[in-house]
Amino acid sequence: MRASSLGKGLGVAGLLLFTLFPVYLMVVTAFNGRANAGSRSLWPEDWTFRNFTFVVGEGGFGRYLTNSLLVALGTVLAGALLALLAAVAVARFRFRFRTSVLVMILIIQMVPVEALVIPLFIQARSLGVLDSLLGLVVVYLAFSLPFAIWTLRGFVAAVPVELEEAAYLDGASWGRMFWSVLLPLVAPGLVATSVFSFITAWNEFVFALTFMADQDNYTVAVGLRRFFGQYGTDWGALMAASTLITIPVMVFFVIAQKRLTDGLVAGAVKG
Amino acid sequence: MTGVVTTLRERTRPGRGAATAGPRPGRPRRSASRTARPWLLLAPALIVMGGLLLYPLLRVVLISLQDFGLRQLVSGRTSWVGFDNYAELLGDADLWRTVLPNTVVFAVVAVALTVVVGTLVALLLARLRPLTRGIVTTAIMVAWAVPAVTGTYVWIFLFTPGDGLAVQALDALGLTDAATANPFASRISFYGVATLNVVHHGFPFVALTVLAGLLTVPQEVTEAAIVDGAGAWRRFWSVTFPMLRPVFAVVTVLSTIWDFKVFTQIYLMPGGDGVNRGVLNLGTWSYVESFAQNRYGLGAAIAVLLTVLLLIITVGYLRLLFKEDEL
Amino acid sequence: MVSMTGLLWRSCRKGNHMWSTSGPRGVRRTAAALLAISALALAGCAGQGGTNAGGSDRKLTVWIMEGTNPDARPFFDELSTAFRTQTGATLDVQFVPWASAHDKFVTSIAGGTTPDVAEVGTTWTGEFGAAGALVDLAPRVQQAGLSDGLVKGLTEAGTVGTALYGMPWYAGVRSIVYRTDVFTEAGVTPPTTWDELVTAGQKIKAARPDLIPFPIAGDNEYGVYPFVWGAGGQIATQNGGAWTSALDSPQARQGIEFYADLALKHGLSTPAAATWKETDLRDAFTKGQAAMIISGSWTPKSILESAPELQGKVGAFPIPGPSGGLAGSFLGGSHLSIFEGSKNQDLAWQLVQLMSTGDFAAKWGAESSFFPGTTALLQQAAQSSDPLVAPFAKQMVEAGRSVPVTPLYGQVQGKKTIPAMMSAILNGTPVDQATSTAATEMNKIFAGGA
Repeated sequence: MRASSLGKGLGVAGLLLFTLFPVYLMVVTAFNGRANAGSRSLWPEDWTFRNFTFVVGEGGFGRYLTNSLLVALGTVLAGALLALLAAVAVARFRFRFRTSVLVMILIIQMVPVEALVIPLFIQARSLGVLDSLLGLVVVYLAFSLPFAIWTLRGFVAAVPVELEEAAYLDGASWGRMFWSVLLPLVAPGLVATSVFSFITAWNEFVFALTFMADQDNYTVAVGLRRFFGQYGTDWGALMAASTLITIPVMVFFVIAQKRLTDGLVAGAVKG
Repeated sequence: MTGVVTTLRERTRPGRGAATAGPRPGRPRRSASRTARPWLLLAPALIVMGGLLLYPLLRVVLISLQDFGLRQLVSGRTSWVGFDNYAELLGDADLWRTVLPNTVVFAVVAVALTVVVGTLVALLLARLRPLTRGIVTTAIMVAWAVPAVTGTYVWIFLFTPGDGLAVQALDALGLTDAATANPFASRISFYGVATLNVVHHGFPFVALTVLAGLLTVPQEVTEAAIVDGAGAWRRFWSVTFPMLRPVFAVVTVLSTIWDFKVFTQIYLMPGGDGVNRGVLNLGTWSYVESFAQNRYGLGAAIAVLLTVLLLIITVGYLRLLFKEDEL
Repeated sequence: MVSMTGLLWRSCRKGNHMWSTSGPRGVRRTAAALLAISALALAGCAGQGGTNAGGSDRKLTVWIMEGTNPDARPFFDELSTAFRTQTGATLDVQFVPWASAHDKFVTSIAGGTTPDVAEVGTTWTGEFGAAGALVDLAPRVQQAGLSDGLVKGLTEAGTVGTALYGMPWYAGVRSIVYRTDVFTEAGVTPPTTWDELVTAGQKIKAARPDLIPFPIAGDNEYGVYPFVWGAGGQIATQNGGAWTSALDSPQARQGIEFYADLALKHGLSTPAAATWKETDLRDAFTKGQAAMIISGSWTPKSILESAPELQGKVGAFPIPGPSGGLAGSFLGGSHLSIFEGSKNQDLAWQLVQLMSTGDFAAKWGAESSFFPGTTALLQQAAQSSDPLVAPFAKQMVEAGRSVPVTPLYGQVQGKKTIPAMMSAILNGTPVDQATSTAATEMNKIFAGGA
């Protein structure tokens, strides 16, 4: 027993090191005033916010953060709405081609979006939405939808039909039932899909790189490349910017963690 | 990602049949509006997915049959060349010598490592006290949350030739000479770094999914096995693994798909954007041919090849799901 | 726009709030907000896309290569003010890193998202012009009476047929920048032959083992050319309009082999340099890690600016030929080009004129240490006695060479044929094999089928 708990302790330690070290290094370098001068230490001698102020100010990163936020937010909200409607349709109604629709959603979830850069670039070009945030929102929306529908479908199906029927018996219309019964109960599912959509949009690189020409329209993932500048890589700025990008995602994960893990595990543990 | 877990949970949960409860009409069938309603609800999502996923998928195949360059793009004229692009692609020695091996070997190694590490972590997590488990889970979430772009830069930073911390550490261990080693120059070490990056980013999903599955294994079964005197290794292979076979199948297939088409992590590494031909994979090659060379036809053919490879894997995935789930 | 952003920020906070709200009512309320906001968010994004895509009538978007001039920001602030006074129009100047610039141009030309005016590297002008992306400036140049005063090498590089697709802006050339203090310590003087270059490197290696004597960057094609030309080789030869790669000729191979051997045989470089770009060379030099680097006439100034401790310790000498004389070095530079997609081509031409002639051109040359694109200003600069200017001027005037003047060569560069070849050689591929591969690849592009 002793040996096993020692083994567990070692396992935990090793795991924490592997998972957290890269993040730790990123943050520490971001605060290292001498990172540019080639300092590669685990503990900066010179703590400073300079890298951050440079990145947001002269580096123009504030603009990129705003852009990414707009794009991610648009994707999350539109995605939640569209996916929820579609999920209700496939989970609550029986209609012709229902199975075909489901299979199709499954299949296109597997489409490698990287393979679609070329046609989507050409389509976006002819629609005139290249170099615009809206173009990215629509693309990311499409990417996150199949997964969101598939996930929400499970949540909707898990809501007992009896609850709906009770609402109807009380004289509620379908819309009213949707609003007061279904929506609150699938909220945890919406959280899960929203987190996923947010991350899809926030982290995406290929399309942001290809669609955006004007640097005022860059998202964070692409904006980061600027610090691979002409005079060698500005590691302090790069890591400061990376930290800024990573924080929202992390906060999102940690805030949603309880919901997420509840959603993941709840049925298993309590069911 | 959660979706997979949810479906699995539904499936593996005995008795209460939320998942198996197929759609039931809430109320007696009434009118045409009732038939139209599901389609109305589906319409926006279907339009978006059709226009931005299905149609482009068809389009990329069409483009791969054309000589599609800047001139065609600007003028809107098409010039069909049949299977010329494919002939060029399949006749290119680099495809067989470099690109395909890079793509496939990398995917196999990365997936194997991701699944093994993820499973080990899940087994560890399942044995921890709730408090410790919470802490470790949060750490795993942190690793998961690091965006691919920033994660890649951190790994590049670690392995920077000369003064990268990892290079220095390997030097201290006598495994390499920091003054002369360049991890990004050779194909093996380049993909070694990429593998670390991808595994670090990918194992949390496997760990949490497998953990969710592990917690569904009834305590009694494990206990019975312990009573029978089965060791941990035996217990895993004869009890846990068979019960969680679908979970493993799904995480493996999904990881394979993700690692096959990995782009960002390769493209951003030094030499990954086309300078070092030895490290191109299908994704970066397609991109470089298209957007740096304006050879969209050839780029599309490469993309189609990638898609076909993935499709084969997807078929496996679908089979797996259909066997268990009636939808 | 500001208020819209504010609104979205607030809605985002509300969105976050959703996670902590428990119970059906809170969720429902947030859901209502969610639906309403989604429309707004999209509208917001759309609005923003609109303003940027269309561009107002009196605004020019200008792409400038990053890092040419360390004082670029003040320069363009001043230029913007002058331009606004002159025309009433505003400038949106964006800096593009050289390393990703070609891909970015190609993609934006394909997507129709080009700027109004851009600094275009001389080797790319023909390529973009032939693709129909650039405005022919010949009539405007003639009308403005500028035809005779432009540096010939630069107009040649921008000309396809009778069309001039780029207004010469500045030119530069690469020589070798070195550490004078290290040379003194090792007891060497600037080499004038290839043998002397090797000897100098070896002496430096012996005297200062902590330094890289002469790093050979894999991803730096302009370091390769001088040795190809120096050995009497060619990059490509033209025969009746058709180009053929000459990288696999014995002379070119000899030059490339010598260049690679500086690293492989003589150990004057570091294996890490196999993936270095030109910027990494400068980075290593600035950090005091390298004794000699191949570097542009424009770099000493910025090196001293970022490493003031090197003041007085930096010198330059022209790249020598194998047994005396000078090796050819790429006479490169930039044009200012106007894109066909620009809605304000006349306004754009006013800007191009303002930038490429007169005070602003001279000021740019002085600040960036480049040689100006007009003959009058160039002659002035060539007289300089500055030890950090004169060697470059000598190299430019006596041994300035161009890469094959064909739009297809831009594609060769876009394909990174030379860097790919060089990094392969530095990683152990035999020179004969790597040069053959590169020549085949180049010929494929020349053949048009690419």
